[in-house]
Amino acid sequence: MSQHQILNPADHGQLRIHIEAGAEFGDNVMASLAMPAEFREVQAHYPIVFRRDAETGKLAALALFGFEAGENLYLDGSTWEARYRPMAHAVQPFLIGRPAEEGAAPQVHIDMANPRVAKGGEGMRVFDETGAPTPYLESMANMLGDLDYGWHEGAAFFTALEAYGLVEPFTLEVTLDDGSVQSLVGYLTIHEERLSSLDGEALTDLMAQGHLARIYMVLASLAQFGNLVARKNRKIALG
Amino acid sequence: MSSPVQHIVIVGGGTAGWLSACVLAARLRDKRITLVEAPDIPTIGVGEGTWPTMRETLATIGIPEAEFLSQCDAAFKQGSRFDGWRDGSPEDSYLHPFSAPPAAEIRDLAAAWQAGGQLGPFAAAITPQHWVCAANLAPRQRAMPDYAGALNYGYHLDAGKFAALLMRHATQRLGVTRIAAQVTGVTRAANGDIAALMLQDGTAIAGDLFLDCSGQAAILIAGECGAEWVDRSDVSFNDRALAVQVPVEPGSPIAAQTIGTAHEAGWLWDIGLPTRRGIGCVYASRFLSDDRAADILKAYVAAKVPGADPASLTPRKLSFRTGHRDRFWIGNCLAIGLSAGFIEPLEASAIVLIELSLKALAENFPQSRAVMDIHASRFNELFRYRWDRVVEFLKLHYVPSQRTEPYWQAQRAPETIPPRLAECLALWREQPPSPWDFPRIDEMFPAASQQYVLHGMGVPVPLAGAAPAAPARLADIAAKARALAAALPTTRDYLDRLAAQSPAARIPA
Repeated sequence: MSQHQILNPADHGQLRIHIEAGAEFGDNVMASLAMPAEFREVQAHYPIVFRRDAETGKLAALALFGFEAGENLYLDGSTWEARYRPMAHAVQPFLIGRPAEEGAAPQVHIDMANPRVAKGGEGMRVFDETGAPTPYLESMANMLGDLDYGWHEGAAFFTALEAYGLVEPFTLEVTLDDGSVQSLVGYLTIHEERLSSLDGEALTDLMAQGHLARIYMVLASLAQFGNLVARKNRKIALG
Repeated sequence: MSSPVQHIVIVGGGTAGWLSACVLAARLRDKRITLVEAPDIPTIGVGEGTWPTMRETLATIGIPEAEFLSQCDAAFKQGSRFDGWRDGSPEDSYLHPFSAPPAAEIRDLAAAWQAGGQLGPFAAAITPQHWVCAANLAPRQRAMPDYAGALNYGYHLDAGKFAALLMRHATQRLGVTRIAAQVTGVTRAANGDIAALMLQDGTAIAGDLFLDCSGQAAILIAGECGAEWVDRSDVSFNDRALAVQVPVEPGSPIAAQTIGTAHEAGWLWDIGLPTRRGIGCVYASRFLSDDRAADILKAYVAAKVPGADPASLTPRKLSFRTGHRDRFWIGNCLAIGLSAGFIEPLEASAIVLIELSLKALAENFPQSRAVMDIHASRFNELFRYRWDRVVEFLKLHYVPSQRTEPYWQAQRAPETIPPRLAECLALWREQPPSPWDFPRIDEMFPAASQQYVLHGMGVPVPLAGAAPAAPARLADIAAKARALAAALPTTRDYLDRLAAQSPAARIPA
């Protein structure tokens, strides 16, 4: 049950956040939303795939951490074995809040039910003794701003993919070292064949809008499946 | 080939004895170690503050940090704060923290602080530790590896529990033999060395090297080997202490540093542990009566410890002589701990001198009797040097004071100031303290320590020829302090969480 509050020094002056990695802090997830604006960082560590929202039919991008629900193959105890974490995950337990009045600046909200909210005096403070934001909160607020921007800015990317018919369903089946078969279904990826048959006008359009490079980053990210499989095999080997 | 040194026999089972047993057993794996302690001799229990060196010592011995903290009722110590030493006014307070910037940088930062008009305390300008201490924060997070910290730190501890932990560790894990017996005398070898200890039950314990950890009794180094006492009370006046232990309320803040508060004829120590505060009134008997000292102590407790009942306290009185042996190592006998010397616990020099003695011994261990006299002569020279530096550094805390009581005026009388300190003080009006003043390996009080005290006491930073650091560097330190203050838990929260995690009953190793 989430419990959203507007972050403020009066209510949260002593609040501390666990900033280390850990399953107990909600890091045992198989994927996170990834913004097209962060594909350059994400593709260096994780496979990027698309998912279509069952209700709205809209596309979104995901960075994959594992093959099944609750599995994060990058997580080893309190270590997250990748230098970059997708913003939508790294920004927890904070969220963007929109005040009711039109045009007002977005606020930092916090989900007090998130396991990153510390109890017992350990963790990173969000406000100092004077009620001023700590450097940690400043960096998280910046990230929230980047995430908000990335969410809105990314919509045009998915619209373009749809317009040019550049997504296709994607199924992965790999046989692991112990003989078991791991499969991944229900995701989409770039339709490579159609991409390579686009005419010059279409390519110019995609390039001009900044989509083309991101399309190729998604393609390149599929090479990370090799690392994901290797991590899975290592986990099996270690029991 | 002269006879090998194989069997080390330690006399005395306090902090010095058991620390010696543990360190030597851990570092000199091929030696046999026996410790003889008289049953039921109470330990002095004054040395309750350590230096950061204790982390390396404990890691070397092989005691996990969480075990040490919970077994010794220990807390973190990040330095010493001196209240009222300059003029006794309410805002008169400075910190001597354990963290210091590199020597070259500290000079430029100090100059920038001086050139900028001494905005805020000196320690606050040059190290983030000032703010971390001010907020009662721990120097580390529990998730960090043992003995690592975001800032430099040592410990406050219960000395009795510490000796007990070291004894268990030495005897159960490090193979040290413990003999509970009274030493009644020694037998001699032909060359005058101690050949064996004679015990009350008539047995003899033969050994190759004997460590005198018998405390102020100094039964071997003075009683048997004839070391002379070098009195330093001409420089260091304090010769009495009244000590109490005051229970604290659950959840109360735990101070991040030792607090030394000046009074009319001495000072008070205040050492915060999770369950109690050790508070003591140090004074010079020729300036203050015992009754007056007791009043000062009780007034301090009443003012500073919430919920305490000063009337219920019965202070324990300690009398001490300030000074040290003229030689610490004679023949095959080496004095470690109070048997080597004692000075007021103003900068917690007692335990660190034990550690430094053991380091010098372990890293220059005589494998045979043939070279022992060479080691002894070097050791004696080194530790005479160190005692001189301790005496001078403690004196430095008094000399710049502007307090007007007779005791404080006497403290700055020129004839009581050691000549080398007087020279340094003259130099430091023109140039900052530097490694030129303290050139040895493992100097106990390097230039940074001198600067913390000097400028904390109000002595200005010399600016001639200085290159003040850019204001941005001072701003960097403030930014680092903000980040650390946000990331570190309070010491109280840290230790309460640790206690909640530790099993109530431990299985002996």
